[in-house]
Amino acid sequence: MTFAWFANFAALLVMPIVLMGVIGRVKSLWSGRKGPPILQLAFDLQRLARKRPTYSTTTTLLFRVAPHLFLVTALCSGAIAPLLGSRPIASFPFDFVWFAYVWAFGRVAVMLAALDVGSSFEGMGAAREAVFSSILEPALFLVMGALSFLGGHRTLHEISTLHLQAGAPPAVWVLAVASLLIVLQVETSRMPVDDPSTHLELTMVHEVMVLDHSGPDLAAIQFGSATKFFVGSSIIATLLNPWAGSPGWLSGAVNLILCVVIAALLGTVESLVARLKLRAVPQYIAVALACGGVALLATIWRTGASR
Amino acid sequence: MTVVFLLSVPVLLLGAALTLALRSNLARAMAALASQATATTLVLVSLLPTLRGDAALEVVWPWPSPIHSIAFRVDALGAFFLAWSLPMTFLGTLYAVGYLRPYFHRGRNGGSHFALLNLVCLSFVLIYSVQNSLVFLLGWEIAAVAAWLLVIWDYGNQKIRFAGFNYLVSTHIGLFVLVAAFMLLHSETHSMDFASFGQFLSRPSPLRGTIFLLLGVSFALKSAFFPFHTWLPRAHSAAPAHVSALMSGVIHKAGLFAFLRFTLLMGKPEEWMGWSVLSFGLLSAFFGILYTTTQRDLKRLLGYSSTENVGIAAIGFGVGYLGWAWGVPSLAICGFAGGLLHLLNHAFFKCLLFYAAGSVYRATHIIDIERLGGLAKRMPLSATLFLIGALAIAALPPLNGFVSEFLVYSALLSGSAPTGQANILLIAFAAVLAFVGAVSALSMTRAFGLTFLGSPRDAKVDVSEEAPASMWAPMVLHALGAVALGLVPQLALGAISPTLKLFSLGHDLSGVQAAVAPLALANPLLAGALASSAGLAWYLGRRAKRSATWGCGYTATSPRMQYTGSSFSEQFVRLFEAFLPSVRRERLPDEAFPRHASHLGTHHFDAVERRMFEMLGQAEDLIAHASERIPEQSRFAFAAGLLALVIIGALVLGGAGP
Repeated sequence: MTFAWFANFAALLVMPIVLMGVIGRVKSLWSGRKGPPILQLAFDLQRLARKRPTYSTTTTLLFRVAPHLFLVTALCSGAIAPLLGSRPIASFPFDFVWFAYVWAFGRVAVMLAALDVGSSFEGMGAAREAVFSSILEPALFLVMGALSFLGGHRTLHEISTLHLQAGAPPAVWVLAVASLLIVLQVETSRMPVDDPSTHLELTMVHEVMVLDHSGPDLAAIQFGSATKFFVGSSIIATLLNPWAGSPGWLSGAVNLILCVVIAALLGTVESLVARLKLRAVPQYIAVALACGGVALLATIWRTGASR
Repeated sequence: MTVVFLLSVPVLLLGAALTLALRSNLARAMAALASQATATTLVLVSLLPTLRGDAALEVVWPWPSPIHSIAFRVDALGAFFLAWSLPMTFLGTLYAVGYLRPYFHRGRNGGSHFALLNLVCLSFVLIYSVQNSLVFLLGWEIAAVAAWLLVIWDYGNQKIRFAGFNYLVSTHIGLFVLVAAFMLLHSETHSMDFASFGQFLSRPSPLRGTIFLLLGVSFALKSAFFPFHTWLPRAHSAAPAHVSALMSGVIHKAGLFAFLRFTLLMGKPEEWMGWSVLSFGLLSAFFGILYTTTQRDLKRLLGYSSTENVGIAAIGFGVGYLGWAWGVPSLAICGFAGGLLHLLNHAFFKCLLFYAAGSVYRATHIIDIERLGGLAKRMPLSATLFLIGALAIAALPPLNGFVSEFLVYSALLSGSAPTGQANILLIAFAAVLAFVGAVSALSMTRAFGLTFLGSPRDAKVDVSEEAPASMWAPMVLHALGAVALGLVPQLALGAISPTLKLFSLGHDLSGVQAAVAPLALANPLLAGALASSAGLAWYLGRRAKRSATWGCGYTATSPRMQYTGSSFSEQFVRLFEAFLPSVRRERLPDEAFPRHASHLGTHHFDAVERRMFEMLGQAEDLIAHASERIPEQSRFAFAAGLLALVIIGALVLGGAGP
């Protein structure tokens, strides 16, 4: 239980709220409004947690449990992500496989809860989420596999501190970041894949699955999504962070700032780009897949034909 | 100890005879259960030293010519397979008692069914222990014919008879290929013994490659690898639930066992063998899981998922082969460990899923997920157990499916191949496996969500009763196994490590133990966090209000408006249209006041099966076309006849030599 451990833990609890606030603020600035306070999500969560939930008469216990399972998976994935650009709370060889499947668990929990209410809207959202994730998962593995092979590392935080490897081809690095950014957009349901602020159920993906959740359950889902956003952006931030991997406060501070920059960047994208047509979303995700594939092929430039 | 082991054979035969002789169905069931329990105990007691990693059990029986002697040898590999095959068959028989009760009430005689289940056990004892190809074929055939007869329990239904014959023909095509391989081996070694087969196979030669391919095809047919899977979905949807479970989870693992047995006989494989096993497994996993997304029949869906899961196991074995061929023991151990563990895990969760599907069928008499729904409230126990199986088969942590897939991933992603290209190829394969995992999550969410969640889609379906104790007890045991192997991966590794030592080239297993060790901490922690949050959620939800589902302002929603199975997979199917063909039957309204009722239906079929039949049909046309031309030219007919005569003459004369 060192200081770094506590710092990681504190970041895991606080940063998701800040990052959501940053996105909201950036979007407001682009549209010429003043915007909500940075900590708006914290106020929302507090308000929701006090409320009495309402359950559909169709639902079973699964519906009550699923949002909280989702939150737990998001937090557990945060335990092995390099939140502060250096050693995370826990790490072990091939923990990124565990990471991907823990996220999948949370996704399945939310999808099942969506099917539990017996509404066509929520079934639709679950189907879309399932399809998108099926193309997304290979992209994540291609990127992680390529980075892991390039550096000869096996844990998520070592893989993400790639820049320290002498002579790593810049192409791999750029493609990996591009691919992971798309993965982040899809996983956390941001534009142009999904519009979290839309008001039409037919166009939603993630939001439509949680239509029937209320009170503390909705709070768990909102905080879980925000946590996933922070965890995902921290991996990209570590890839970009020139001081990543070195112990000390500098790498941590730079990592957090980079997370904020990524949030601002995605907020800008959301403000300037319209949501894609649903049929075009798989093609957009295929870009992540292609980036991952090219990154994997590009590793051969460094490693040569034989290693 | 060998006597104790072989005593299980007469015990099983005696039990089978008793089931046929006794008067009441309950007594017949008891006879089968008692004999299986005795045989299982005998086998396990005699194999205890082998299971702990000690010497193999060996005995040689003299036998009249031309066999000379029959050798039995149960090494760690055979002992491992027996150790779970026999208890699981016992549980399946127990399940059958409850599942078949409605048939028994109608006066159906279950004697032969229970006798056949005993024969399935007998075939395991033979296949997993014998070292003689003739007796091996005998056991193989007993398993095939017994499984066929078990499948056609409802033989009054023509569809079920068709599915049964389809299976029978397919499995015998596999048998022919196996016999061909054994004949080749016999012609080279002049022996029926596996030991002398092994001496021949351990030397690389072109004939070894041919035999490897023949054996591979035969075992792939047995285990229902793509593209030899076409019999499987039909048979699984036609058979009673426990038979589907045993076939998918236990009986067809004999194909993979035989593959591993011959791998051990062969010793160090060539690199191309590894790549072919690996890509074959990958193809199976990919297409198996794609087909699950379109199925309406719950048991058919589970059948296709068997093709996927044996594919995942074969990916592990393929990496193991490569590791062996390259001389990288860590890769070989990791790959074989993943494959072996996945076999065991698959037996646990697939039987569980089939049993739960069976209890749904028993309660509703429907297996079409488009007509089910909302069963979680009526059958909470079956729903919970199905959910555990579904999460395990989708390889989600902290359950057991994840542990074996983790090992396969860690083999694929290890970066320890000798060349960069090979490493990159393995990483790309890992990405395909990730796709398979995600689609399997889609498919299982769909299967569980539509069957058990929401509200009932068809008001005409009534639910009679939750499964009786004889049905849920096996399910609970299987579910406990799936959870335990996930939370305590060392347990699983302990179970396979004596077998794994056979594949480890003399190296110790510390690498794979180290790979699994973190999961032993991570999985229980995750499980604890999930369980406590579920408890918290339950606590928070106490004071909840109840209301109708949000209908977007529309107040007259009905269960018919729920998302259906076809709509759930529609977008996915459109992405993979090339592999998932469908036929569309429609009669749309033609004028302002249509006189006929209009309808629209889409139906997904198995592309391989369809293509196979098409090719058979076309080949017939081609041959007919060619044969029409030949008699027109009498010279051709004469020449062909002469050629045939020369060949036959040459064969006769050549065969007369030494």
